[in-house]
Formats: sequence, C-alpha cells, structure tokens
Amino acid sequence: MTSKIINMVDRMKDAEDRLLESMFAAPPIADDGFSARVVGKVRRRLWLRRLALPVATLIGGAIAIKPLTELVTLIADLSALLPQELFGIVTEFIPQAQTVVLGALLLGVCLLGVRSLED
Amino acid sequence: MHAAEDNQLVARVVSAQDTRAFGELVRRHQSQVRNFLRKLSGDITLADDLSQDCFMHAWDKLQTFSGRGSFIGWLLKVAYTTFLQSKRKSKRYAEILEEVGHVTEIEDRHHSVQADEVSDLDKLLAVLTEEERAIMVMSYACGLSHREISEATNMPVGTVKSVIFRGKQKIRTSFDIKDHQHG
Repeated sequence: MTSKIINMVDRMKDAEDRLLESMFAAPPIADDGFSARVVGKVRRRLWLRRLALPVATLIGGAIAIKPLTELVTLIADLSALLPQELFGIVTEFIPQAQTVVLGALLLGVCLLGVRSLED
Repeated sequence: MHAAEDNQLVARVVSAQDTRAFGELVRRHQSQVRNFLRKLSGDITLADDLSQDCFMHAWDKLQTFSGRGSFIGWLLKVAYTTFLQSKRKSKRYAEILEEVGHVTEIEDRHHSVQADEVSDLDKLLAVLTEEERAIMVMSYACGLSHREISEATNMPVGTVKSVIFRGKQKIRTSFDIKDHQHG
C-alpha cells in the first residue's frame, strides 16, 4: 500500500514536471549566421593577439631608440675612464671591447638592483 | 555520443585553437544558450548580445572545462555568469545616471518590449526571483540535472532542490495549479 502511494506521488511529481517542461519548452532558435558572427569575432581577436606582440615590440623599439643611442654614447665616454692597458691586446681584435665590458658591468649592476628590489 | 563529440571538439579547440571546431560547438549549442538567456533577460536583442559575449568568454576559458560534466552544463554556467555580470554593470550604469539626474531609459525600454507581447511563460517567469528563474529554466527548459545546476550556479545540490521546490510552489500558488490535477 505504502509503495503504491509512493509510486502515485512519483507519478504526480512526474506529471507536474512534465507540465512544467512543456510550459518552459521553446522552439529551437535558427542559427541565422549567429555562429559565423561568433567565429568571426574569435578570429579577429586571435589576429589582434598575434599582431599585438610584434606591434608592441616595434613601438617599444621606436620609443627606446633615442635613449639607447644616448646610452651607447655615454658608455663610450665612460669607457675612457677604464685603464687602457687592460684591453691592450683585446682591442686589436675587438675594437668595441671597452664598451662591451662597461655595458656588461652596468647590466650586472642593474640586475643586482632589480634583485635587491624584489627581495 | 553527443557528449563525446563535444569533448573531442573541445580538445581540438584547446590543443590547436581550432576555430572551425569552436564554430561547430557554437552551432550545436547556440539555440539552448540563446533560449536560456532570452528567458532570463526577457529581451531578445539583449539575450543575443549576451549569448555572443558568453561564447567569447567560453573561447577564453575553454581550457577550464574538465570534461567531467556535460559541455552544455558548463556553457550555461558561463552564460549565467555573463548574465549576472551584465546585470551588475547595467545596475551600476543606472545608478550613475540617477546620480547625474537622468531617467533610466534602459529599464523603461526593457519593460515596453515586454509589454508588447507577454506570453504565458513570461507571466510564469514573472512570479519567480532571478535566481529561481535561472534554476527553473536550467532544469525544465535545458534539462540539466540537479548536480549540473549546482555546478553551474555554485550552489549545493540541496539548495538547488529547495529553490526548485520553492519555484514550483510559487507557480502553483500564482496560477492556482492543484497538485492532483496533473495525474
């Protein structure tokens, strides 16, 4: 008897659920170019992302070129302060050795500075 | 079979950023997502805009789909989040307009569109809160299981069940539907 009542309750619940399902049911919406629009947007976004890095590099390079040339000049001026006998033989083969060494020293100092800032 | 195909398409999108596979996923599920958002927002144009946003978010977050639940369940979670975000944004926008003394046209327009053609379903949805509406639509229109709804709404399964129960009660009371009428 109890199981019959439970079954009846279940059936009633199912019927109510079916009624709600029919009330909530809606006909399928035709695509009508919707997916093409979404894919088009996705493709545009992909292109923008692919272009973003080279464009940003170009812009950054263009902005940095003037301070970079000034930095090179400054390094060249500072290299005069280094003892010339240290580079005696090397400068015969690599004329920019002094600039390279000074640049490496400056880079090392910068990296140490960044590291200490991070710490 | 359908779920397995969905998972294969998702794998293709995640591994190779395959836009064709993504297009196929959109084609398969656009109807359900658009229907869900139309019922939730009550505005066809807004719902279609939100659906586009939803699929864009889905493209960005597809790697977070684990494949354990159904893809449509995961997609409706993205759709629901998109809807809530847009709701919050428009609320903030309305508040700003009110602060500067403008009448909120958005709400007015929304209501005038609804007033034109109020279907039985619109009347039925009107008695439910936003949360109840979302859960009832997920359950009865989209056919999600309680577990899938719980994942989509970040609610415990018990809460989902009680929200559905409450929603049914409200519908019964508002539309004078008797329990034993539908045997």
